[in-house]
Amino acid sequence: MAQRQSWNRRQFLRNVVGTSAAGSLCGFSPLRAMQMPRRQKVVVVTFGGGARDEETFAPEGQENIPVMLGELIPQGTFFTQVVNHGILGHYVATASLATGAYETLNNFASTPPENPTVFEYFRRDLKRPAQDAWVVAPSNGFNRIGSSDRRGYGPGLGAEVVLPKQLLAAAMAGRSGADYEHLLRDNYETPLFAPSTDGSAFDLHRTSEVLKLSLDDFFAHAKSLESPDELSVFIAKRLMNEVAPSLLWITLHDIDIAHSGAYSLYLDGIRRSDRLCGEIWRAIQGSPEYKDRTTMFILPDFGRDSDGNPAGNGFQHHRTGDALSRTTWMMVLGPGVRQNAVVDRAIDSLDLLPTLGALMGFSPTFAKGRRLGEVL
Amino acid sequence: MLPAELTSAAFRSYPPQARRLAESQLPLLHRLPLVLVPIVLRELIAYDWKFPAERRRLENQFGYLAALSNAEFVERLASFRSLSLNPQLEALDWVNHPGEFMEQLTAWLWSAHQMEFFRATAGAYEQAISAAFPDPTPAMPRLGIVVIGRGIERWGQPLFRKLKPFGVRLTAVRAEGGLEVLLAEAARRAASQAPVHADQISFKHWYIDGGVPLPAPNLHQVSYAQLSESRALLLERTQRAIASGSMGPENLRSLLARLNPSEIGLSDMPADAVLSRFQLSLLTEGSGTQIFATTFVQWAARECLRRAQPETLLVRYAPRQQAQTMNAMLSGAKAELDPVGSLIDADLGAYYTWLNMSRLSGGEHQRFLVWFEGHPDAIAIGPGLPRSTSSDSPMNMQQVLKLLA
Repeated sequence: MAQRQSWNRRQFLRNVVGTSAAGSLCGFSPLRAMQMPRRQKVVVVTFGGGARDEETFAPEGQENIPVMLGELIPQGTFFTQVVNHGILGHYVATASLATGAYETLNNFASTPPENPTVFEYFRRDLKRPAQDAWVVAPSNGFNRIGSSDRRGYGPGLGAEVVLPKQLLAAAMAGRSGADYEHLLRDNYETPLFAPSTDGSAFDLHRTSEVLKLSLDDFFAHAKSLESPDELSVFIAKRLMNEVAPSLLWITLHDIDIAHSGAYSLYLDGIRRSDRLCGEIWRAIQGSPEYKDRTTMFILPDFGRDSDGNPAGNGFQHHRTGDALSRTTWMMVLGPGVRQNAVVDRAIDSLDLLPTLGALMGFSPTFAKGRRLGEVL
Repeated sequence: MLPAELTSAAFRSYPPQARRLAESQLPLLHRLPLVLVPIVLRELIAYDWKFPAERRRLENQFGYLAALSNAEFVERLASFRSLSLNPQLEALDWVNHPGEFMEQLTAWLWSAHQMEFFRATAGAYEQAISAAFPDPTPAMPRLGIVVIGRGIERWGQPLFRKLKPFGVRLTAVRAEGGLEVLLAEAARRAASQAPVHADQISFKHWYIDGGVPLPAPNLHQVSYAQLSESRALLLERTQRAIASGSMGPENLRSLLARLNPSEIGLSDMPADAVLSRFQLSLLTEGSGTQIFATTFVQWAARECLRRAQPETLLVRYAPRQQAQTMNAMLSGAKAELDPVGSLIDADLGAYYTWLNMSRLSGGEHQRFLVWFEGHPDAIAIGPGLPRSTSSDSPMNMQQVLKLLA
């Protein structure tokens, strides 16, 4: 099933954007070998809430991802078959991507990953300051994703984590929030569970200083935004302008409205994510700090259930553990990355971290995956 | 506790019919692996409120296991026994709270990377039971009718894209009186099988509405509008639990699983027990059913098909509210309706209803109709009807039904 899906994605892409044949990547030689660009930067964009081929790469879904198909894929290498063998919950899966090991933490608890994160490896090995690694993530649970509790690593070496919704909630304290509440949607995985967006403990002042953003400016901009993910990308772009971290990890979450069962809202989430990925890439290209030395990785954390599995309810959830819910894709763009290319072989979600390590020059000792030679 | 330690006294808090069935199957339950017993008991504990089709399936399971020789029994259940279980699971009160055991078991299987193996094992087990005791062929070919798009005056986008390969697209249906004709047909089918005694109710003919339902004699009815008070009470409880600050999603789900129908304003009369429990489950087990009318209808149709195996199912969608923050939706704040989004939801929901109906026995003979309410657009699927075709012949709804006959 996963292989068939991979083949389908290849066919879809070939038909639409004319990506190069598999043969062109068989036995290829690395484009850059050891000549890493100096001061390499990496931006990782994950979707917390996968999207299925029917709504994306299949012919009937292509109308939902015009930016990926028309703008991003022609500029990058596309992996058609990324398999997640871990727990299919968004926090635990994103934590697994960040540690390169399948985490088993409670998806709904505020728990740090067990294994060191990409941010800790990066900062420890390359002796980078705290502000060189940032995470922008939805608020539920993700506040602990910046670092593990592993001895020799830990919070002192982790990423700065900004939770835009928490930031907004904190900024809204004492104000009328009617114009902003649409940006505070949270945790769709269990729609009956809506954690409060309590921003009281959040260091709003410090974050505002870092982002060089007054509360009034923040409010003015937030009012014009459509969704939580737009707020996240706004914050991410602000970070790129003001702090220019070498490692920036952005987790989008709008697609996960699918858990509410409203198909049209799920499609809206896909279209918005597509547009936002384009915005992030264009921000990279428009920034002197990022242009020509930034590699961007885009990948859903996993898929969603197929229509054909009676144990599930189609697009709504990712509970069956079937091949479609475990198999997704990844796109890599940046200097030295082969353009308009497709890789069909199955790779593991865990392969992301060793690849980041090879790209940036750190050693992810506890990570289980393998480097992806196709983009190194 | 282990299954071998079970006694009749363990089931004293079970409802009467469930208790009798459990006691009669005690020797069999003693022999089952721990992982399987709570799964069986989760169905059994609700036996008194199960649909006839569900009762039959549970009884078939016992019949299947009882008919196995000792060697077959060991061999068929070996995969369940080979699962490595967290010892803490044994300490749970899985007799009285099998659902909570399932929650814990699920978390454990995921974390121990055994979920795929478990699913494969459970799937093979179910298939073996179905092969030994196939579901009966329906007394009449199943008929599914889905009415979508209420509140939309003009629509220029394609509809029925997923269903089109399976049937005839009709583009000149005369809409006048269409809904009444469909309801009358569903009622006629139900009347032809009307039970003589109350205990013969088969739950074979249903009408599910996303808004205020129309009169529909003889049909079992579930509607989003009729459950508005129950939804409000449920959301109020949910808000209270969340506000307490000590309730994660798993605990919340367990709390909801323990609710009785009367606690959210549903009838607790014995004659209504089966339907009340079904409605309760739609709101407490469904995701999004409490806040979106379209989700409610799709899920209700799915659960109705899976559990009651109806022979007639008429489903009518209504506009859902626009998306708001989850907190606002849970608090029951009023919002504008979203007819366009609802039509897109319902179009896919119709496909899912067809898929789910196709999974039932006699699927090859089923008749299925989706109609864009108030418009000339429909799609008809059934034996003898050509696939991937369209017809612009003018016809009224009675003629459409004749196509399906």
